[in-house]
Amino acid sequence: MTAELADLQSMMQDRLLGGSDAIAGHLAQGGPFLKVYGNGYGARLHEVMADVFPGVHALIGDDGFARAVQDYTEAHPSRFRSIRWLGRDFPAWLADAPAWRGQPVVTEMAAYEWALSLAFDAPDRDPLPIEALASVAPEAWPGLTFDLHPALQAVRLSHDVAPFRRAAAEDQDPEAAPPKLEVPGVWAVWRDSETLIVRYRPLADDEAQGLEAVRGGGDFSALCEIAAETVPPEEVAARAAGFLKDWVDAGWITGLGGIPEAVLPSDR
Amino acid sequence: MTDMIESLSGFGLGLRPPHFPALLDGIEGQWPGIDWFEVISENYIDVGGMPMRNLMRVRERYPMAMHGVSLSIGSTDPLDRDYLRGLKALADRLEPAVVSDHLCWTGAHGINLHDLLPLPLTEESLAHVADRVGQVQDALGRRIALENASTYVTYDSDSLTEWDFLSALTARADCDLLLDVNNIYVSAFNHGFDAQDYLAGIPGDRVRQIHLAGHENNGDHIVDTHDAPVVDPVWDLYSDTIRRLGPVPTMIERDAKIPPLEELVAELQRARRLSDNAVRGAAA
Repeated sequence: MTAELADLQSMMQDRLLGGSDAIAGHLAQGGPFLKVYGNGYGARLHEVMADVFPGVHALIGDDGFARAVQDYTEAHPSRFRSIRWLGRDFPAWLADAPAWRGQPVVTEMAAYEWALSLAFDAPDRDPLPIEALASVAPEAWPGLTFDLHPALQAVRLSHDVAPFRRAAAEDQDPEAAPPKLEVPGVWAVWRDSETLIVRYRPLADDEAQGLEAVRGGGDFSALCEIAAETVPPEEVAARAAGFLKDWVDAGWITGLGGIPEAVLPSDR
Repeated sequence: MTDMIESLSGFGLGLRPPHFPALLDGIEGQWPGIDWFEVISENYIDVGGMPMRNLMRVRERYPMAMHGVSLSIGSTDPLDRDYLRGLKALADRLEPAVVSDHLCWTGAHGINLHDLLPLPLTEESLAHVADRVGQVQDALGRRIALENASTYVTYDSDSLTEWDFLSALTARADCDLLLDVNNIYVSAFNHGFDAQDYLAGIPGDRVRQIHLAGHENNGDHIVDTHDAPVVDPVWDLYSDTIRRLGPVPTMIERDAKIPPLEELVAELQRARRLSDNAVRGAAA
């Protein structure tokens, strides 16, 4: 590597990111068509963001979206090999941006759309068969931990963003802004393991907390502790086990952990 | 280097999602007139779900080539080992006949500009790229092909022509070429060199694959847009290419304003016809 090559690349990159024109002094004839790269850069980022966030685009309009994408990509230039990840920090950025942070429907839409995007093409994992739970020895249950499918996302929503988003993604003009949900809460977004279609549903508060705990490495006893805040003691085990069964049925669980060797079934 | 799993021959298309329904559900087996597909590698690295299911269904029916846009072989940043691991995992799965990327850099200091940016054509760049091609080929366990990109600027420090650069690179790094005939035309127009000099100067025996695409002519410069049919002067240059090189697996890229498959297959038929004519003409 030479200093010259590195310097030229730094100068060219600086120009494309909206900085100085110093690179022009190193180009033949001053680089009369240098603008092709600059124009292409902005257009490409906008196209990708519009593809992933049609709901946000429809909510804040062409000008607002163009401004948001430009400001966001200045603050978060892509560090990814695949441009598909460009929008990763957009929901958090919107939630903190002075122009948008007072509009929760916009930041919720962005979070929902990013969850849809992740659920759609996250890496594949085989779902855990329900029989695997039946084979866990009783003494292993309290310490049992769970691997979640990478496509499973959780989003906190206080607006009914899904119908608006569906219309926007199909290029129909949504008629009205998403209304407030009667019950705000956490929604799961995931990919059906057979059809590969992305689905979503609201979670009860304790189910959402339990899922968050499991994602953080929490075991079955932690799940029971969370359920115990909602139901009487005699119903705790059934409620926690009910969550688990639903999650396994939906393909959200892909593996088990925390089982001591001593209690592993002999055929495993 | 390991032997190629399956070689390409004939005429292919860039695989684009809008064509999945027609390819997979509208027909059993292969679509008449399409011999193989090329996929954009980044779209399938660490990806599952419907995109991967569709890709593997297409792979069951067609030979494939993998074409990357983010290797950034010319960047002064270190090679991205995670990316190379992902690329290798995808190649292990798809067993493509060709793995290619571009002679370019795509960003520095950890940033990816998602564009194919030109390198100064100097001995220093040549040494830098040749060394990195060697590292990439070692990591992948196979030879790669590099494509000539369309360029819109050249550097004051250029001391080599692009064809001399590519000749030296393929010899020094033992890599192959993906020749984009439209890009030769675009860069020749933008920088005022003779496309025939380019064709005469490249090592023909290194060319594994040819790309064709449409562009946008703005009068004083041309932009490689991949959003329109191939223009007549590029078809002429393609005929010249085949006369010089003999038959080479050839494909059309369309990345915007993507028409129905039938339209692209009709365009591909023109490539087939011109290639056959050029081969016959060269043999006569």
